[in-house]
Amino acid sequence: SVQAHKEEDNPQKTMEVNGLTPVPDSYDYDLIVIGGGSGGLAAAKEAAKYEKKVMVLDFVTPTPQGNSWGLGGTCVNVGCIPKKLMHQAALLGQALQDSRKFGWQFTEEVKHNWMTMTESVQNYIGSLNWGYRVALRDTKVTYENAYGEFVGPHTIKATNKKGIEKLYTAERFIIATGERPRYLGIPGDKEYCISSDDLFSLPYCPGKTLVVGASYVALECAGFLAGLGLDVTVMVRSILLRGFDQDMANKIGEYMKEHGVNFIREFVPIKVEQVEEGAPGILKVTAKSTTGDQIIEGEYNTVLLAIGRDPCTRKIGLDKVGVHINEKTGKIPVNDEEQTNVPHIYAVGDILQGKLELTPVAIQAGRLLVRRLYAGATSKCDYVNVPTTVFTPLEYGACGYSEETAVEKFGEENIEVYHSHFWPLEWTVPSRDNNKCYAKIICNIQDNERVIGFHVLGPNAGEVTQGFAAAIKCGLTKEQLDSTIGIHPVCAEV
Amino acid sequence: MGWEERQVRGYPEFVRTAQSYHGRPIFALFCGDKDAEGRSWCPDCVTAEPVVRKELHNLPDESVFIYCLVGDRAYWKDPNNEFRRNLKLTGVPTLLKYGTPQKLVEEECFKAELVRMLFTED
Repeated sequence: SVQAHKEEDNPQKTMEVNGLTPVPDSYDYDLIVIGGGSGGLAAAKEAAKYEKKVMVLDFVTPTPQGNSWGLGGTCVNVGCIPKKLMHQAALLGQALQDSRKFGWQFTEEVKHNWMTMTESVQNYIGSLNWGYRVALRDTKVTYENAYGEFVGPHTIKATNKKGIEKLYTAERFIIATGERPRYLGIPGDKEYCISSDDLFSLPYCPGKTLVVGASYVALECAGFLAGLGLDVTVMVRSILLRGFDQDMANKIGEYMKEHGVNFIREFVPIKVEQVEEGAPGILKVTAKSTTGDQIIEGEYNTVLLAIGRDPCTRKIGLDKVGVHINEKTGKIPVNDEEQTNVPHIYAVGDILQGKLELTPVAIQAGRLLVRRLYAGATSKCDYVNVPTTVFTPLEYGACGYSEETAVEKFGEENIEVYHSHFWPLEWTVPSRDNNKCYAKIICNIQDNERVIGFHVLGPNAGEVTQGFAAAIKCGLTKEQLDSTIGIHPVCAEV
Repeated sequence: MGWEERQVRGYPEFVRTAQSYHGRPIFALFCGDKDAEGRSWCPDCVTAEPVVRKELHNLPDESVFIYCLVGDRAYWKDPNNEFRRNLKLTGVPTLLKYGTPQKLVEEECFKAELVRMLFTED
């Protein structure tokens, strides 16, 4: 970032070199944010607090199935929010089953209506979209539903859905364009398969579903679809939940398998064909083994691809302004102040190289960045010990190192792992599994047995993990943990 | 054809009127009843009404503006009244675009910018 200062000192010269007419000293905006998701909106709202003139450009390129959504980004529209609501729908189904053992009597078979659930979820999302628009308008942030791309060092071209183009200039920019699901690149993938971008507003029940992928998106979706009573198969190329603690990942997979989710391991789809049209129709999937020549076929109503997400950084004119991206992944490298190699251009959220792809991380990074830019603050976003939760049927909460990473970094002899299975009290009466819930902490022996990794598998894992994340941030040691008296009877006391 | 206004009182009349305009954009402003002198028991409604009326000329063609008096204060305070139960209203004044999650509640109705956004944008 030291060398970049040269450009800042002489913007006029840079523009002449680029062959553009020099932009006048006063820009249209202090800040233009490209992307109205978790990171972008947090940054824009924060900047408005300091009375900066801010514009947000948000645009959703429709999915191959033609699906689109409103302001708020992935989390609100096609991510965390609808996911958690549908996960809850599945948990409620389980609760209904358990309730009989607790004395509730109902004679009818309990069935699930996909349309009722989806309409309610979409209605809630609609109120969030509206809420964001009101918040932006109220704080005088200009919002345009238009696709933004750089055409000059301080100039953005915004194209709306009618194709009308407008140019805007700003002193600074924040790129917060997020990611979109990756496709397989096989025949039939875009024509017949859906992704998480389509699932949460699907206007018909998906029916018998093949989920391709082993990411948390794949497992969470497979999990709630099965919980709603659908026939679900997950096709996994190699391991589950790459990047997560594998001991925990395997336990999650085992639980899902025992609870009705089929797994096809070490296969990848090579072709998807339509057998019958419909909503849903019938699709035939041909898959090849990753370890040999074996070919298998299967028929499903819906094929959901969840094999990864790619940053939206290739078509926003970054080459025109010299912002470096990782050519292979599309991610943008930034320094610890979220600044790209071009000093007046910043980036936050899922597109960042080497940072966690989580809404609260993007929000925190966006807010702190803006405070540093306009309020003289100095705190930087702390990306260490960020807690996360995977909302699979058996929820998994984690904070800090996985066991493998801890061993790699500190050496097996320097870490101590304490672990325990536990049986939630609420599961005893309905005779649910007594050996599946599990908790472990990883401690650094050389540093007072400091807790450097926390993992819990069980109900309400997210709620349990949040408090421990704060403790870990304060430097929790095993001794302090031991001397903290538990709350009884709850899972967290383990 | 521009826009038109209908004035109604109470939940059944509101529903009947809204249903009769099915297919057209419907905007509704819900306020507390007015006394003989034409003053509402709801002070925020008194503030909001002129702001909203001033923006009515921005209503899209073919739309309907329903001005609905919900009832007296006691009726409104009842947590089970039909407006709360069926329309999910949480306060008066409420200005909403019927059949969508788009609405403005209480002090939001005082802001001409927001009212205009509700009337003119998708």
